[in-house]
Amino acid sequence: PESSSSLLLREEEIEDIEEIKKETGFSHRKITRLYRRFTSLDKGGNGTLNIITNGFFPEGEDQVNFRGFVRTLAHFRPIDQDNEKNKNPSATEPLNSRTNKLLFAFRLYDLDRDGKISRDELLQVLRMIVGVNVSDEELGSIADRTIQEADTNGDGCISFNELLRSWKTWMWNR
Amino acid sequence: PQDSDQDDEEDKRRVRQKGAKAPRRKAANEERDEESEEDQGKRKKGGRAPSKQEKEDQNKEKKGNVKGKDETNKGSEKDKKKKNGNSPASSSEDESDEESMSEGEIAALKEQVEEKKKLIATLRNKPWRMKRRLVLEAQEFVEKFEGALGKGRGKKLYAFKVMMTKKLIKFNRDFENFKTACIPWERKIKEVESHFGSSVASYFIFLRWMYGLNLILFGFMFGLVVLPEVLMGLPYGSIPRKTVPRSEQDTAMDFSVLFDFGGYCKYSILFYGYYNNERNIGVLKFRLPLSYLLTGVGIFGYSLMVVIRTMARNANEGGDGGDEGEFTFSWKMFTSWDYLIGNPETADNKYASITTSFKESIVDEKENQKDENIHLQRFLRILANIMILCCLGGSGYLIYFVVKRSQDFAKMDPASLTWFQKNEVEFVMSLLGLVCPPLFETIAELEDYHPRIALKWQLGRIFALFLGNLYTFLFALFDEVNDKLETEQELKNATEWAIHEYNANYSSYYNTTDVPPLVVNPADAVRGPCWETAVGIEFVKLIVSDMQVTFLTILIGDFARAIIVRFLNYCWCWDLEAGFPSYAEFDISGNVLGLIFNQGMIWMGAFYAPGLVGLNVLRLLTSMYFQCWAVMACNVPHERVFKASRSNNFYMGLLLLVLFLSLLPVVYTIMTLPPSFDCGPFSGQDRMYDVVMETITQDLPAFIGTIFTYATNPGLIMPAVLLMVLAIYYLNTVSKGYQQANLDLKKKMKMARDEEKNRRNNKDSTNQVMKDLEDLLPNKSLIPPPTEEDKSTKMKPGSAGKGVNLQKEVSLAATNPRGPVAHPPRARGGPPGHLRGPLPGPGRGRGRGAPPRT
Repeated sequence: PESSSSLLLREEEIEDIEEIKKETGFSHRKITRLYRRFTSLDKGGNGTLNIITNGFFPEGEDQVNFRGFVRTLAHFRPIDQDNEKNKNPSATEPLNSRTNKLLFAFRLYDLDRDGKISRDELLQVLRMIVGVNVSDEELGSIADRTIQEADTNGDGCISFNELLRSWKTWMWNR
Repeated sequence: PQDSDQDDEEDKRRVRQKGAKAPRRKAANEERDEESEEDQGKRKKGGRAPSKQEKEDQNKEKKGNVKGKDETNKGSEKDKKKKNGNSPASSSEDESDEESMSEGEIAALKEQVEEKKKLIATLRNKPWRMKRRLVLEAQEFVEKFEGALGKGRGKKLYAFKVMMTKKLIKFNRDFENFKTACIPWERKIKEVESHFGSSVASYFIFLRWMYGLNLILFGFMFGLVVLPEVLMGLPYGSIPRKTVPRSEQDTAMDFSVLFDFGGYCKYSILFYGYYNNERNIGVLKFRLPLSYLLTGVGIFGYSLMVVIRTMARNANEGGDGGDEGEFTFSWKMFTSWDYLIGNPETADNKYASITTSFKESIVDEKENQKDENIHLQRFLRILANIMILCCLGGSGYLIYFVVKRSQDFAKMDPASLTWFQKNEVEFVMSLLGLVCPPLFETIAELEDYHPRIALKWQLGRIFALFLGNLYTFLFALFDEVNDKLETEQELKNATEWAIHEYNANYSSYYNTTDVPPLVVNPADAVRGPCWETAVGIEFVKLIVSDMQVTFLTILIGDFARAIIVRFLNYCWCWDLEAGFPSYAEFDISGNVLGLIFNQGMIWMGAFYAPGLVGLNVLRLLTSMYFQCWAVMACNVPHERVFKASRSNNFYMGLLLLVLFLSLLPVVYTIMTLPPSFDCGPFSGQDRMYDVVMETITQDLPAFIGTIFTYATNPGLIMPAVLLMVLAIYYLNTVSKGYQQANLDLKKKMKMARDEEKNRRNNKDSTNQVMKDLEDLLPNKSLIPPPTEEDKSTKMKPGSAGKGVNLQKEVSLAATNPRGPVAHPPRARGGPPGHLRGPLPGPGRGRGRGAPPRT
């Protein structure tokens, strides 16, 4: 049993574990499991992954190390009910909070990373999501409609704050 | 398992540490430091968490400890770990409880627990309401985390409790998954839904529901009628009703005969005639005739109850799919993708489903936006309705005419009739069924309804058409039954006379009154026409032919067409796929109505053919798989995919109507027609319901009989009906009141929301909101400052034209509900983002501050 599940975290990662745990909220076992996955993906064996999807990982790099990998994945953790309830206003939000999840999604759509989603960006993403099945005209109207719904200051773009606000309204309606 | 896991972890860690090499570690540390500089900074700002350096020191210390530890120390560390299992950070979702806490965390926790304890102690002087809340909270906290520190009541118990909670949560989750996996065909239906939209899926959901209902009906029929007769009744061949007559025996096994449900099929457990009229059978003294009647009626009762209950439940779920509220598109846009999908097939489905749901929303939006010429619209709608009424009237008359003719033909010699004359009714019926629905659909285009409403109209119209169908069938059946009843009466008289003659002859010949009963082989016995079995056979035949037609239509109309279009397209003059024949669309209205009327037949026929329900279960099962396959393989989604209501209440309403309509003939036969004298469980009775009377008078104590007599007294029934009517009226009024209240509340909510919106837009509250948000976000640098830039982007060359004409161009866009932005541009003040140095990201040029065009 020892050898079968034995996974050696890199020496440098061990020291990180506490910190990663704290930052991401993953348990130790999960981090271990993630690390196993990471090493299996890591073809070069140098502790980094070549990024294939641009949206997922922080900008400006074409490689990601284990830390970044875990940080990104932490966005996908389910939301802690406890934390939601008795939230400590002074604490920084955990990576898996609703706001951070939303921010993560927002960055995926913000292709040129200027902090705003313009109509063109929306159209590009829409083409990716909906593809060829919908006519360009309809895509355009979807994008326009989306912007119109969320855009509160009338600049024709959606900023994260606008998205957040519309999300809050939306949640309130549920 | 947990402990062994922990051991593993322990060992692993040790091994790792042994193999550690200092220089490498150092290098890595540096590297990491570089990357996470930003994080570190942020953390320092947060002020709460210990700095990185401190932490590292702690870690190193800890590691040193670990290294030095020997076997004896292991146990204590494990304990520590266990109690650490529930650090505040670890959520209930975490499967593992192996979380170690740093010393700092433990200390902080200790402090907090102490604080809360103190709070409990010093709370005497607070007002009681507040006190209670605080005490409860504090106690909860203490209970939760005291154990973690290894203090207070049993820490082992605590660890056990924590473990159990986690196990329970995991179990619950697994159980939920299991429950979902148990819903039959859920995946198939989801797949169809993702490609064809909720409207097509609603048919399959309805089909599934119908299958469930039929399964239960089959359970009743099989368990209470068929099985007892098979197990405890007389075997085949013992009495005439259970034997094939000698004249038919030669052909009884021929396929053509069996296929028409003659021969052995006719004298089998499938049909009414086979059942014996013995009052009770077997060792259990099972009262089969009574059970037969009660099951027959109970099937109706149960179906009625289920349909109504489902309708009521669906009504709660509410919404006919149309209203979705605000931000539909934003939320479809930003949140529809499920990032956790790991399976390519699921991803494909999700992709299709997003597309479909967008299309559905587009259709809804377009419908809302349509500004129409009301008068023209009204005129067209009235015209369409008149045309359709004409069609319906015409086909009704045609049916009447043909039925009348067929009655004339029936009196003539069958040999002199042509094939067409014999099958005229069926021919006309299927012709109408083929021509009318597409005709209605064409006429309905005039009306220009939303497809969801159009579907309802279409369903209602075809329903009316099919009703004519149903009633001609029933009239023909009743004619047949009356004929049979006459011949039966003659036959009965003749037989009685013959037996009387036999007795008289025997006694006069042998000069004795002790006449031995006439012994006849069951196959040679004289038998009546047994109209119940004949009716049952008609229904079964109808169901089978209906099934054949459905399947053949799919095979030819969908599958063959798809194949031809697909492969002939390579060598054809025009584009077959996009042009004329194209692929078939899934015919929702036809299929739903087919299903509903099929169920009506089952309800009507089940009394005369107990095997019918079983047959129907098979039919629905095959049709589920077959249609699921066919729709995925040969059909294309509708051009206007629309969102169907989640509740299939319209379908259910039609079903209820059909149930009621099919209840009438069955109850009529039970109450008025005399059962056949030589077949079926009620033979020898005057009326079928006499078995109930018999049971009441013979088997139950006398007072129940008296009660029953009183209860059936019209003087009692009338007031009861009146009372029910009053109750219905009252409940209806109450529900209307609630509805009104609901609407009012919704309106109020909307008003409050609008007000909020206006307030936000008009006042200079933006900054405050921004500030709040800034605090919430960890990566502040990514948020764009709400500067003048906001306005300048509107003028950005790339989007300038679009930005300007936005309102005009947008065909879908609703009128902008927001008021004008009233605050002056200066009022926003210097955004915090500006002070924070250069912002990352390429597209954020400072140079864009001034508008390039004015």
